[in-house]
Order: sequence, then structure tokens, then C-alpha cells
Amino acid sequence: MGINWFLIAIGLTAAVVLLFRDWRITIPALLLNYVTIALFLAEQRFVAPDISLFGLEISTLVLVKLCTGVAVTLILAITALTFSREYGLENLDEFGLAELRRAARAAQRQRATAPFQLSDYVVPFWAGVLALMASLALPRIYPIGPSVAIDFAWYWLALTGVLTIATAGDVLKIGLGLLLCASAIDLLYTAVVSTPEASGLNVFPLALLSLFNILLALAVAYLAGLLYGRLKTLELNELYRR
Amino acid sequence: MLYLLLIFFPVTMALSTFVLRRRTSLVIFAALGTVLAQMLLATQIPLDDPTRFLGVTLTLNALNRVFMLLFLATGGFALVAAWHLPHGENFVPIALFTIAQVCAVLLLQNPFITTLLLAATGLTAVLAIVDLPAGASTLVGTRAIAAALKYLVLMVVACVLMYIAFVLTDIYRPGELPGRISPSRFILALLGVSFALRLALIPFHTWLTDLVDDAEPLVAALIITLLNTTSLLVLIFTFQSFPSLLLESEGAIGVMRVGALFSTVIGAGLALGAATLRRTLAYLILYNCGMVFYGLASVTTLGLAGAIFGALNQIIAVTLIFVSLALLERPDGRTPGVLRRDLLRRWPVASAGLLAGGLALLGLPPLNGAISHLLLYQAAAERGWAELGLLVLGTGLAGLGLARAVGERLLGPAEETVAAEPLLIGETELDRPTQRRLEPEPRSTAALTGILLLLCLAIGLYPQPLLGTIAEALRGLAFIRAL
Repeated sequence: MGINWFLIAIGLTAAVVLLFRDWRITIPALLLNYVTIALFLAEQRFVAPDISLFGLEISTLVLVKLCTGVAVTLILAITALTFSREYGLENLDEFGLAELRRAARAAQRQRATAPFQLSDYVVPFWAGVLALMASLALPRIYPIGPSVAIDFAWYWLALTGVLTIATAGDVLKIGLGLLLCASAIDLLYTAVVSTPEASGLNVFPLALLSLFNILLALAVAYLAGLLYGRLKTLELNELYRR
Repeated sequence: MLYLLLIFFPVTMALSTFVLRRRTSLVIFAALGTVLAQMLLATQIPLDDPTRFLGVTLTLNALNRVFMLLFLATGGFALVAAWHLPHGENFVPIALFTIAQVCAVLLLQNPFITTLLLAATGLTAVLAIVDLPAGASTLVGTRAIAAALKYLVLMVVACVLMYIAFVLTDIYRPGELPGRISPSRFILALLGVSFALRLALIPFHTWLTDLVDDAEPLVAALIITLLNTTSLLVLIFTFQSFPSLLLESEGAIGVMRVGALFSTVIGAGLALGAATLRRTLAYLILYNCGMVFYGLASVTTLGLAGAIFGALNQIIAVTLIFVSLALLERPDGRTPGVLRRDLLRRWPVASAGLLAGGLALLGLPPLNGAISHLLLYQAAAERGWAELGLLVLGTGLAGLGLARAVGERLLGPAEETVAAEPLLIGETELDRPTQRRLEPEPRSTAALTGILLLLCLAIGLYPQPLLGTIAEALRGLAFIRAL
């Protein structure tokens, strides 16, 4: 049996999203994850190719998924880059402004006193190991898709997504976890419903799935903007402290 | 054409009202016109007459039409209430957009699209939770952001589970793969958890308590009435589309029933110990959600009739409760930040609305919840005294919780008014601080509360038309006959 490099790339990129905390690493990993999923779909040929791009025969579906991935990643990357965006400061009274100054000082202190600690990565690492074991076992115990590779890919994406949400320390990381979960159901739907014994792919759910991914990224970006505007940080422990 | 109008007309009006959102009166008028037009459109669509649009089937059955009209009426009530009650800058566009999504869910017959639309309603609701009034001088509360984040995560997780379940139903053939975990049970488990998240059944309920605590009452009302009940209708549609799931999973239905009983009793018990009025109301709603879900999980004609009627009553009662709560929380001219205990004397219409809404959730006659509760008790009695006993226990605990909250907040003695002291030597009336003027209840909102209260009474006293419609709709549900 040959090695499926795209499957390995899906696994690795999702693992990077789960393990790392820095958005400069996780957001490019998410983009790569979308790209590898699109390439994986192109390789598996769930939908017959209908366009030729740079000499590569692919289906429009793959292109749509690629565009969705790029859009989602751009939304999150722009959000991460523009954390300094302020919301409605012109209407704030003195108390509100003072509260913002206090929050900014607290966030500054937290950044200054939070060096790199290996212990921060212990829980995500073991969560990843657990997800890997489950993703290897579940395709044999409970196969759903047309091949083991498909089952591994969607189980792995769903589990790393859920564990990313569970171990997330900031709002953006929660968004990344949710998007991994959405990718899992996207892959499962495309792979399973396109099989001969299923009802067949419908353009509406596929379009809505892509739209949902983008709207989800926008919702996460909006909440991240609000949180930063309120607390000058995206850390969840600050959100739940007050 | 009518189907598409029902979906896209509110979307276009939502966009228009978003552009004009700072002109509150105009926007509310436009939105009310939209809701009325929607109601007219809904009555014009022929029942059970499916049509195809780009490979997707759209149809409207009797049950969905009743609920669609009720959702539109609820939306209309919320918009009227928004005239005097606090709401976010974007409340009206968000409400219209939510109505459009709910109409689409009720019209479309594709489970994948329905699931994604339900998830999209969740995203829309997030915007409403963190929405601040126009020109507010305060920041968005951290608790509101936390509530919105929790709601977002849980709704997306529910969507993922539901979507996986529907993918499995697409390839599932009854009786296949002996010796493995039954796919029907696995699918039912996925659906059970996802709908438990959406319907806020204990222990998947925490988003609802946070929502009631931290969001504006009108937003909470809109989310609980429109989105939760739509989810319930989708679950009924799922059972109708895939009856083999129920036929092959007798044990799993039992688990769902036990979960509903658990949710009912624990929700009611928590209402008894809730620290605030909002928390008490949240737990009363959880208790009622448990009751409604019990009716559905009993999978009998009686139980399902009770569940549908219960869901319908819940919409009216919850709207009444939150409109009344928003009125009671309005500044009334007294010193802010002090816990008031004389609300019934101070604002009698709002207090009566809150009390009646609570009693309707408990199913006390002559209010609207009475008949639905009776049907649910009958369905439970068919299953044995233990289940009936648990439902009655839940109602008793919830009643005690409501009585405690009412005693603490509504029925207390009137605040003593400070007797005017005689004028000091050289002092004139002009030297004294102006007399504190106590605000009366806003008439339009008090009238709205009164209308909702009368509606509760009218349905309670004369439920036959609604029961007839529900019985007619139940005759069309094949899975009940199959079981």
C-alpha cells in the first residue's frame, strides 16, 4: 500500500493547530490544512474533474474548497493582525475609558510575565496522542467512509478540532478548532454522499458548507475584535476572570 | 415564487433596516410591515404541495404553517416591545434575518441544508447577544461576550453532530451489518446529543442560563422561542423522514425519555435554589423544555400532541415572561441598584405578565400550558406511575421555585415613602430638591403584555381549535402510526 502524502499532510497540519499557541504558526497551518484537503479530494476524485488548471485536471468543487480555505484564513489572519482595532470609543464615558486603560495595563503585564513554558504544551500533546489513537482505531471499529484513508482523515479532523476547542487559551484558537470540525463534516459529506449507494452530492449543501465556514470565521473574528476592544487581550482566562 | 419570497423578502428588509438602523421608529415600522406581509404570504402557500428549486424540495405542511405564523407573530410582538424596551442597535435587522432563516428551515426538506441553516441561526444569534444599544456609553460586558462565545461553540458542535448523523442516515439501510454497533442507535445518539444541545436539555443547558443572565430579555426571548422550537420541529421532521431509526432503537428511546425526565426534575430543582429572578426563569424554561422533550421521546400520539402543544405554549409564555421582565427591569424613577421587592404594586401589568408566564410554563389552569401538561401526564401514565410521578415532582419543585421568586420580588410590601419634613426657618419650597417622579408603566408595552396574557388565558380556556390542528398534523406523521 502506497503512502498517501496528502493524508499525512492533513494530519500534521491539524496537529500543528492543536499543539501550538502562536497564531503566526496556527493560521498558516490551517491554510495548509485546507490546501491539503482540497488536494486529497482532487486525488480521490469523488467528483469528476471538469476544469484544467496549470495542466492539472480538477473539479470545480476542489477549487471552491480551496477558495473557501483561503477566504477563511485571510479573515482570521487579518483579525489577528489588527487586534488593535477599537470599537465605538467615541461614545465611551470616562469610566469606560478608564476601564480600557486598566485592561490594557493588565494585558501588558500578562504578556511581559508569560514566557515560553513547555508545560503549556503537555495537555495539547497528550490530547493529540489520544486523538491519533482514536483516529487510527475508529476507522476499523466503525468504518463509515468508502476507504480507511477517508475515515482516518475526517475522524482526525473532528477529534483534533474538538480537542483544540477544549485546550484553547484564546478566542482565535477556539475558532480554529471549530473550523477543523467544519472541515471534518465537509470531507465526510463529500466522500460519503458521493458514493453510489448514497443520495448523491447536491450543490446547495456544498455551497452552504463553504458559506458556513466563512461566516463562522467572520463570527469568530467579530467576537475576537469585541474581546480585544474590551480587555486588550484575546486570552480566555482574562475573559472568565471578571 | 411565494416560497422564495418568504425566505428572501425578510433578508432584503433586514439589509434595508440595517442601513437605517439608527432611525428606530422607521425601522420598527418597516419590520412590522415585513412581518405582516410574511404572515399573509404564509397563508397563501398551498399545504403539502411540494415544489422543486435547483434540486431542492420546498413544501409547507399544516404543522409547520401553524408554527411559522406563530413565529412571525412572536417576532412582531418582539418588534413592538422594542419600541420601549432596551435592545441592541441591530436588533431589528437581526430579528428579520433570523425570521428568514427560520422560514427557510420550515420550508426546506433537505436535512443537510436544514442543519446548516440551524447553525447559521446560531451565528446570527451571537450577533444579537453582544449587540449594544446605539450610542451606548458603556462597553460590551465580558459576561455577554462569554455567553456569546459559549453559544457559538455549542451550536457549531451541535451542527457537526447533526450533520454526521444525517450523512449516516443517507447511507444507512435498516438491518445491515449485524454484530456491529447498530447504526440506528449511533445515529440516534448523535441526534440526541445535538438536539439536546439545541433544546438546552440538562446537562447541555449552560448556554441558556448564561443567555438569560447576560443578554437583553428581547434577544433571549427571540432565541429561545424561535430557534429552540424550530429545532424541535426539525427533530420531528427527522423522525418522520427516518422512522426506521425509532423502530430499531427501542432502548435508545427509553434513554431519551430518561434524559427528558432528568432534565425536567433537575431543572425544576435548580429553579428552587436559583439566586436571581433571571436564573429562576431560566430554570423554569429548562424544566418546560424537559417536559416538551419528554412528550416527543414518549413517541405516542398523546405525548407528541402534548409536546407540540407544549412547544406552542412555550413560545407564548416565554415571550410574555421576557417582555414582562424587560419592563420590570426598566428604571422606574427610584434609586437604581437596589433590589426591589414590591414589583406587583409598582408595575402591576408587568408583574402579572411575569407571574402568568411562569404559571403557564408550569401548566396551571386556566392558562395555556394546562392542556399540554395534561396530555404529557397522560402519556407518562401510559408508561407507568414512576414516570408520571417524576413529571409531577418536577412540576411541584418548579412551582415552589416560582413561588419563592414571586414572594421575594413581586409580593413584598411597598417601599416606604419618606414623609415630607416641615420647612426650616428661612427655607422655601424652591430650596428643596425636586420631588422624585415615579415613571408609570409604558402604555404600549403594558398593552402588549396584556394582550399576551389574554392570549394565554384564551388558549387555556378554549384550546379546541389548536388541538384540532395538532391532531390533524399528527395524522400526517407516519412514524407515530408505525410505532
